[in-house]
Amino acid sequence: MRENTQTGVNIRYLAGRRFLLIVSLLSLLTGGCWDDRELNELGIVSGSAYDWKDNQWHTAYQIINPSSGANNTGGSSGGNTSSPPFLIYSAKGNTLMQAVERTNLTSTRQLFFSQNRITVLGEALAKRGIGQLIDMFLRRPDARQTVYVFITEEEAGLILSQLMQLNRNQSAGIQLMIEQEARLTSYYPGIQMVELARQLSSESASAAVPEIKLSGNKVMDRTSDITQTDLPSRITFARLAVLKEDRFVGWLSQAEAYGLSFMTDKVKKSNISFPSKPQKSDKDDASISLLHSSTTVRPIWENDHYVMDIGIKADGTLTEVGSNLKLENESAIRQLEHNIEQNIIEIVESSWRSVKKLNADVTGFAISIHRHHPKQWKRIKQEHNWDTVFQNIQIRPHVKVKIKRIGFNSNSYNSVNKN
Amino acid sequence: MKLKFLSNRKPDFKTAQNSILPFHPLESSLDTNLAEIKRLIGHSADVVFRSLSNPSSDSPAISFIYIDGLVNSDLVSQAVIQPLTDHPLLKEQRPEQAFLLIKEQILPVGGLQECTTVETLLGMLFEGNAIILLDGSKIALAAGTSFWEKRSVNEPTSQGVIRGPKEGFTESLRTCTSMVRRRLKTADLRVEQYKIGRRTQTGVALVYLHGIASEQVLAEIRKRLDAIDTDSILESNYIEELIQDGGLTPFPTIMSTERPDAMAGGILEGQIGIIIDGTPFALLAPSTFFSFFQSSEDYYQRFDISSFLRLIRYSAFFVSMLLPALYIAITTFHQEMLPTTLLISLAAQREGVPFPAFIEALLMELTFDVLREAGVRMPRAIGPAVSIVGALVLGQAAVQAGLVSAAMVIVVSFTAISNFVIPSMAIANSIRLIRFMMMLFAGSLGLLGIMSFLMVLVIHMASLQSFGVPYLSPIAPMNPGYLKDIIIRAPLRNMKMRPSTYGSKEAPRQNLLPKEQQASGSPSEGQGNKNS
Repeated sequence: MRENTQTGVNIRYLAGRRFLLIVSLLSLLTGGCWDDRELNELGIVSGSAYDWKDNQWHTAYQIINPSSGANNTGGSSGGNTSSPPFLIYSAKGNTLMQAVERTNLTSTRQLFFSQNRITVLGEALAKRGIGQLIDMFLRRPDARQTVYVFITEEEAGLILSQLMQLNRNQSAGIQLMIEQEARLTSYYPGIQMVELARQLSSESASAAVPEIKLSGNKVMDRTSDITQTDLPSRITFARLAVLKEDRFVGWLSQAEAYGLSFMTDKVKKSNISFPSKPQKSDKDDASISLLHSSTTVRPIWENDHYVMDIGIKADGTLTEVGSNLKLENESAIRQLEHNIEQNIIEIVESSWRSVKKLNADVTGFAISIHRHHPKQWKRIKQEHNWDTVFQNIQIRPHVKVKIKRIGFNSNSYNSVNKN
Repeated sequence: MKLKFLSNRKPDFKTAQNSILPFHPLESSLDTNLAEIKRLIGHSADVVFRSLSNPSSDSPAISFIYIDGLVNSDLVSQAVIQPLTDHPLLKEQRPEQAFLLIKEQILPVGGLQECTTVETLLGMLFEGNAIILLDGSKIALAAGTSFWEKRSVNEPTSQGVIRGPKEGFTESLRTCTSMVRRRLKTADLRVEQYKIGRRTQTGVALVYLHGIASEQVLAEIRKRLDAIDTDSILESNYIEELIQDGGLTPFPTIMSTERPDAMAGGILEGQIGIIIDGTPFALLAPSTFFSFFQSSEDYYQRFDISSFLRLIRYSAFFVSMLLPALYIAITTFHQEMLPTTLLISLAAQREGVPFPAFIEALLMELTFDVLREAGVRMPRAIGPAVSIVGALVLGQAAVQAGLVSAAMVIVVSFTAISNFVIPSMAIANSIRLIRFMMMLFAGSLGLLGIMSFLMVLVIHMASLQSFGVPYLSPIAPMNPGYLKDIIIRAPLRNMKMRPSTYGSKEAPRQNLLPKEQQASGSPSEGQGNKNS
């Protein structure tokens, strides 16, 4: 009797558990799948371009065409010429999302932004201000804040339609280019959206964005266009656009960009060409490949203005010498080092002159002053006179270069011939 | 609750034999006894009745009963029938004296047992004894003449090793116990024998080390074995299912092994071996989750390679359980997690695939399970056909026809291969089931679903017990000292203590004697000292 009731309780208990189990399993069906997207329903956005024309947003999205083998698999590139590796969807809209919406209307696939690699901004948009765009990037959960940002003088969408050789996924290729560039030449510090937002909201309120452009006049946007070895027009980086607050204020040339890299400690590996015998000729005839470089910036208050003490330390390997220098002499090497130092100082100072002219603190001096002299910074902030302070800043660069290796041959080849 | 469930079914009768035959003492008349026996067993063709009656002498009539095929015929005729035929000592003896003479002087066979009832007599008969019935005696003799065809000791088929003993258990209970006994030459090794199954009367032996195996666990196992009331035990899984801890779980809580060395190793750590007559698969209880990942070969090769292999096994476990689910979750919910190149490559493969990833995975997994089952059941001659069908038709052709993506084939194949890495088929099979649940969760909730199901799984595993031993010990409850043989296999020199995971007392396994005595080379150093 007792046992029976107990079994009854057990059965009811078990039935209750079974019921719960079934209910929870069924709830999977109701709650699940609401945001699932099969891979073949996705329009994978690889690059995006934003421009401003006629008071409207002009957007262009580069969408990967998976069936063309857009991933960079070995020698198959160029083999499938019938369909392009990516497609461009352009749209206009009063707001960014309106443009996205219109793009979705014309595309069979839902735009998927999480794999976006680069975003190209038109100069017109940069001049109008990019605050709204940055806000969108920071706000949307599927927008990648690690996209590399570029500015172009041309129509922003044109850059995206240019096909690329070797790397069929063009945006990934551009990302690769800018990352490699930062490692190998250090002219343009590539900037990601999150970094851009951070710099524009920092004390300096300025940022530098590399310019992207086509080296020729023609856009190579047909798959048949890239079946030649020497493309008349390729994607390249040219100048550095300087933004202040969220607006474009001007350009820095490549050399000035290089000086900026030195001032902001962005130089990793790099090549410097310099005259080996400046007393004889101003012409660059020697190169050093820098292996390490580091910069320290220290603000010093002198009477009525700031002096930025910029210490640059670098070392590297000599890679070419065009004069008849005898490098067996220690003094010749010292002389070369001195020449390089002079060269770097020149680069830095010319860069500083242009930066000053643009009146945009891309050098990050404001951050440095804030860190070293917080009280003075507070006063500057209260008096709202950072622009005058900035204009009065003088820089004092010290450069210490060490030639660590001179390569396999010691005396220059020319010196062998001459004697 | 679950134990009560078992005890509710406790039978009314103590021994199973009674349920079939009524209690029936032997009579003194030979004819009555023979008639009764014949009535009970009917006219079975393999039962041989043989009577010796010599009217010329006064010796009492003798009858022999044995089962052809269960006895050694030579032994029966030479050591049982021949000595009793016209034996001089038996002349003019009364039945009582003749019985004593036969039992103590005449019969040259080893095992000789007395039976007083028809039931015990039949039991002896079915075990291959030759029964000797004497006219005028109420006691029958059973001579140990059993001999039948057995499979010889072979290499284990399901648990092979590269280095290590190559012999596996056989279907004969005695052979199995002898193999364990040969590895544990100590007086502490106990073999307790049961007969379970009303009709099969299957021999079941509990094998354990007295003093090392936990008394509580032993008592629990004995209790559960006693509670079994069934008509048949044909394989060890009958016992496993009937004595395992209750509750609905996909995880095995009793380990089965074909290897006598694995059993000896388990017994030395305090596990209790259960050997069942008629199957080469013996059981080891209690077992923890981690014991299913230990292969006996782990101890036959260097510790570093063993540890590496163990890590591989654990990762294979996770791969086998999670890989298809992760594939579904990531490709349908979390595409941002993939590197772009991989994503594009997967997207390109999925172009034109008609099913969602979940259905695709489900189809492929089911296909593989069908193939696998077919491979097991197929006659050996058609075996290669299965691999051709599997590899070419279902793999390559399905991809080329655009029914499934190539990546899915890779995922399913790797999952399947990983499943075979796990040394215990029992746990590998439970993963097969869990995998489908995992895929369902992944297909509906993505990584969130996988994570929540994993949590449910871990909670469930932590609630399991095997004969009172927590299933996840020594990880949960954590006992850091016992981790030397769980995720990795520490060098033997460092495993000086026997873990008490299975309820035994913790005690040293090495350096049992003081140093001086060791130096003198005492031969008795070994298992005998382990209980101290």
